[in-house]
Amino acid sequence: MPTRDTFYEVMRRHGVTRRSFLKFCSLTAAGLGLGPEFAGKIAHALETKPRTPVIWLHGLECTCCTESFIRSGHPLAGDVVLSMISLDYDDTLMAAAGHQAEELLEQTIEKYDGQYILACEGNPPLNEDGMYCIQAGKPYVEKLRHMADHCKAIVAWGSCASWGCVQAARPNPTRATPIHKVILDKPIVKVPGCPPIAEVMTGVLTYMIAFDELPELDRQGRPKMFYSQRLHDKCYRRPHFDAGQFVEHFDDEGARKGYCLYKVGCKGPTTYNACSTVEWNGGLSWPVKSGHGCLGCAEDNFWDKGSFYSAVTDFGVMGGAEATADKVGGILAGAAAIGVAAHAAASVVSHMTRGKAQETSHD
Amino acid sequence: MQSTPMSNAEMRAPRKALYVFEAPVRIWHWLHALSIIVLAATGYLIANPLPSIGGEASQHFMMGNLRMIHFIAGYVFGIGFLVRIYWGIVGNKYSRELFYLPIWRKSWWKDLWGEILFYSFIRREAPPSVAHNALAQAAIWFFNTVLGLFLIFTGFALYSEGLGLESWADTWFGWVIPLLGGSQSVRMWHLFGMWLILFFAIIHIYMAVRADVMTRQTSVSAIISGWRHYRD
Amino acid sequence: MTEIVTPNGFTLDDAGQRVVVDPICRIEGHLRIEVNVDDDNIIRNAVSTGNMWRGLEVILKGRDPRDAWAFTERICGVCTGVHALLSCRAVEDALAIEIPKNANSIRNLMMLAQYTQDHLVHFYHLHALDWVDVVSALSADPRATSELQQSISNWPKSSPGYFRDVQNKIKRFVESGQLGPFANAYWGSPAYKLPPEANLMAVTHYLEALDFQKEIVKIHTIFGGRNPHPNWLVGGMPCSINVNETGATGAINMAWLNQVSDIINASIDFIDQVYIPDLKAIASFYTDWTFGGGLSGKNVMSYGEFPALANNYTNESWMLPNGAILNGDLSTVYDVDPRDPEQIQEFVTHSWYSYPNPDQGLHPWDGVTVPNFELGPNLKGTKTNIEAIDEQAKYSWLKAPRWRGNAMEVGPLARFLVAYARGHEEVKELVDSTLTDLGLPITALFSTLGRTAARGLECSWSAHKMRGVFDDMMANIKAGDVSTANMEKWEPATWPKDTKGVGIGEAPRGALGHWVHIKDTKLENYQAVVPTTWNASPRDSQGNIGAYEAALLGTPMADPAQPLEILRTIHSFDPCLACASHVMSPDGQELAVVKIR
Ligand code: HEM
Ligand code: SF4
Ligand code: SF4
Repeated sequence: MPTRDTFYEVMRRHGVTRRSFLKFCSLTAAGLGLGPEFAGKIAHALETKPRTPVIWLHGLECTCCTESFIRSGHPLAGDVVLSMISLDYDDTLMAAAGHQAEELLEQTIEKYDGQYILACEGNPPLNEDGMYCIQAGKPYVEKLRHMADHCKAIVAWGSCASWGCVQAARPNPTRATPIHKVILDKPIVKVPGCPPIAEVMTGVLTYMIAFDELPELDRQGRPKMFYSQRLHDKCYRRPHFDAGQFVEHFDDEGARKGYCLYKVGCKGPTTYNACSTVEWNGGLSWPVKSGHGCLGCAEDNFWDKGSFYSAVTDFGVMGGAEATADKVGGILAGAAAIGVAAHAAASVVSHMTRGKAQETSHD
Repeated sequence: MQSTPMSNAEMRAPRKALYVFEAPVRIWHWLHALSIIVLAATGYLIANPLPSIGGEASQHFMMGNLRMIHFIAGYVFGIGFLVRIYWGIVGNKYSRELFYLPIWRKSWWKDLWGEILFYSFIRREAPPSVAHNALAQAAIWFFNTVLGLFLIFTGFALYSEGLGLESWADTWFGWVIPLLGGSQSVRMWHLFGMWLILFFAIIHIYMAVRADVMTRQTSVSAIISGWRHYRD
Repeated sequence: MTEIVTPNGFTLDDAGQRVVVDPICRIEGHLRIEVNVDDDNIIRNAVSTGNMWRGLEVILKGRDPRDAWAFTERICGVCTGVHALLSCRAVEDALAIEIPKNANSIRNLMMLAQYTQDHLVHFYHLHALDWVDVVSALSADPRATSELQQSISNWPKSSPGYFRDVQNKIKRFVESGQLGPFANAYWGSPAYKLPPEANLMAVTHYLEALDFQKEIVKIHTIFGGRNPHPNWLVGGMPCSINVNETGATGAINMAWLNQVSDIINASIDFIDQVYIPDLKAIASFYTDWTFGGGLSGKNVMSYGEFPALANNYTNESWMLPNGAILNGDLSTVYDVDPRDPEQIQEFVTHSWYSYPNPDQGLHPWDGVTVPNFELGPNLKGTKTNIEAIDEQAKYSWLKAPRWRGNAMEVGPLARFLVAYARGHEEVKELVDSTLTDLGLPITALFSTLGRTAARGLECSWSAHKMRGVFDDMMANIKAGDVSTANMEKWEPATWPKDTKGVGIGEAPRGALGHWVHIKDTKLENYQAVVPTTWNASPRDSQGNIGAYEAALLGTPMADPAQPLEILRTIHSFDPCLACASHVMSPDGQELAVVKIR
């Protein structure tokens, strides 16, 4: 077996000095919110390990996750692919095709059984025997199950793999199904978002490789390092929210001053992601900073939670019908008031007629 | 008819009177009512904020205050609920009626039916009862216990999001969020819970006043003084 | 059959050996190609199968038209934003909403940035490895590579030391034995023609372009908040402009506008000094590989893109014109009207859908979609293990769109041909000068390489165009207009009860149209007819083959076991299958019942 490069060796050969290598490690540690003592651990891991094989599968999706991944600035996507991992299969980037491509899957299983990371972008459709997504003449779900059987852990990229995303929105015609509902016996790290932020993707992946362990996950299987807080908790427009200063309409006075977007539907208060802190495309901006509310794209089934332009939305459970809590509730409370008034009137009438009857009988 | 329930009661010198609502229950009742009013008012404004305020952000704290008041009232509501449960255990037998429905008792169903007939003007006389009649008990059980718990669970789940992962609120209530389909859904159900509670509040108040006026038992005065008077 | 001639003039012969390529990698989505080669390994029959269906338009039914852009944006993450823009155009058309000038400029800037980035990534990361042999780069002389680089452009990264570093990097990578995405490919095939130095230069730029592409999209990030999948708005753009008042840091301000300007400059530099010289250098080694023309020399079509005038989507306004050319006759260009029920129609005879009247085409406003996964009697394999498909029956998740009954090719080459035929000055100059440089006639464009070249030239055109659009926008802001959104018809109460609209334009991959029907403030029907559906289309009711199928015919394969030539030609179209497959029935509800079988 040929000798395999460690991350450190590759970095050194790229002309990276030991000093700046260590600096990279401490920056990574800080970036992941870890104490300086972890920098040494990262450095040690990167110096001694061969590159971890990654198999990147695509189901029903739009490839925005891959597109996001290659936007990563720290580390650069090119460095991740050439130096940190061994991307042994990825239909969007690989040179081979057809049989030659599919052979690589079996080779990886043979060489790295139980050792590779399975990165899933998109999800399998289960209707029509899975033939809404065909790969090499077979249903994608077969390929997914096969590759999952032999992997070490799964990374579910984006909202498709994590939750189902747009193709799983009502009425989900293909029965597109998130990975954790198909693969039940492997650890799964969900990295939701449509797409997830580039640096979040590379951050999670490099953590898994440098530390050789899964990141700590929250109740719903998302890495705490990036998904433990709502955007709203760290939004720079929060002072305007607390003050009660809102954009009432797009491009109004408030919009030009950067007021809070809550009233035009910002889902920051209910969305767990890192946009308001890590920001997008090298920390340049994020939806709120560029004037549009958050769509909530990292949340389960965010497509079916009602309008993107209203703070009060659908329940997200009622099939098809538009039913915001305020509408239904208002009608109910109104009905109660009317009902009560009517009943009271009826009571009075009934009482009076009865009273009359009594009076007459007394006479 | 036109006289107030109190004077009404006084006028027809009570034949019988019963101490139904003990002091803690009465205090709790009014505190509870107050907190619901405050929670509903502030909650509504959290969902549908007032028109935007001008000036600098640092000069105002409108939403912040509304939320703070909501949370304080939420604590009053939640802790009050706990205290009330305690009183349900140690208090008199009427104090427990709030927390369960005696559906295993035939007489209860009979009462319930009687009340329904009474309220639909089919029967003239309501079946006699002591603390709550069967219909009132069913209504109040749903209104207080089911909806109250629902709002407490969803409310503190939302509150846990602000306190953060691993906070006490997250440990106790955080699981509600995925259960109801995510944070946005929890908010909407919480909001819907407010409308439901208002729905029941209207009916509850009406029934109480009506009972006072139209039946031979006092009810509004009872929750003030504790004594239920029977007028015949 | 063994040999037949299709109505659009291609001879098909399925007698020879069948070669199946599935998956086609380095594309968006899932595509299968099957061909028959004769004894000389020349392709005589070709079958293109769209391998996926997501049902997005079914999902859109009943939703708020103002939310539609976000759903349609997720049709594709590669040409991100394009569907969102077209969705806004369609809804604005239906509701008669006029967008402000600045919004039009910002949309144009974002779309131009998309063209520039998408074309760049396509060339280096999805297409280049069909022409460039990575392994051969290892034997290049860095000094000679440096000379080559300096002879073709002024790009500063050109020293022998730089190329040696890159070469060493690749060497160690290869020696590690973990070849990653370069494993099991076709290195060393006789189909590769570049000398080692050109290979090294191209591989170096593969890496540089990977780093650079993420800069171009920052234009999306500034105006749309992020990329992929920036934000849009029905009625304009969500980003307000504030350059000289209190709170400007909370809006598009001078700092950001300057950054946009810098990104434009850097993009122009990279495209003109790296991409275009590379393209010309590589092409010069393949001038005798003239295959892959297919439909391009016959039928091409463009809807037009980049409205110079806000709210005007006609040839008066398009910076790249609308038009269709039939039978290679460049002297007549027809207008394409997306509203005319006779012009654009979709057929499902060979697609996995059923129509009430199976062989009749339907205009998108009347589109029906009931999936019907049904395989022909000559299939090899089983329903869930297809070895060879039966193209006499239904064989693709893509519908077959036709313009006046004709299969059309769309994309950068089609756009340039239409513009050229319409006498578009900038395009004419770009095309003529390049052809002169390479010593080729205009007919050389009707090929795989022609498609690749047109994409490169368009990339340069769009990078330069950003400058003009940006300067115009600044002038408008200077004149005191900062408006970016028109909210007059935001409230559904202001909308007509029943209305239809269409948004047309050109995605990087070709003609794109969205058709909407809004009833009682909700989407009643939504149809998108997208570029890859045109190009990768299966046969129609008449037996006309689509652009992919046509382009593969007549191509000799060096080794049928190594589908390099197929990849080349298919990649030259820049396929996007997620875009191509979706459709909606007017009654989405029923669909859920139909598919359970
Ligand atoms: C009668 C009981 C209650 C009523 C009627 C009520 C009503 C509301 C309403 C209408 C909202 C706005 C929902 C939206 O975002 O659209 C809200 C939000 C909220 N409520 Fe309650 N609530 C009640 C009890 C509680 C309790 C017991 C708590 C626990 C502390 C609580 C905590 C919250 C929190 C944390 C929010 C979200 C506020 C924010 O994040 O801005 N609520 N409530
Ligand atoms: S998660 Fe959403 S965003 Fe990512 S590939 Fe899927 S559709 Fe695109
Ligand atoms: S803009 Fe959105 S995330 Fe920011 S404070 Fe307002 S509601 Fe919260």
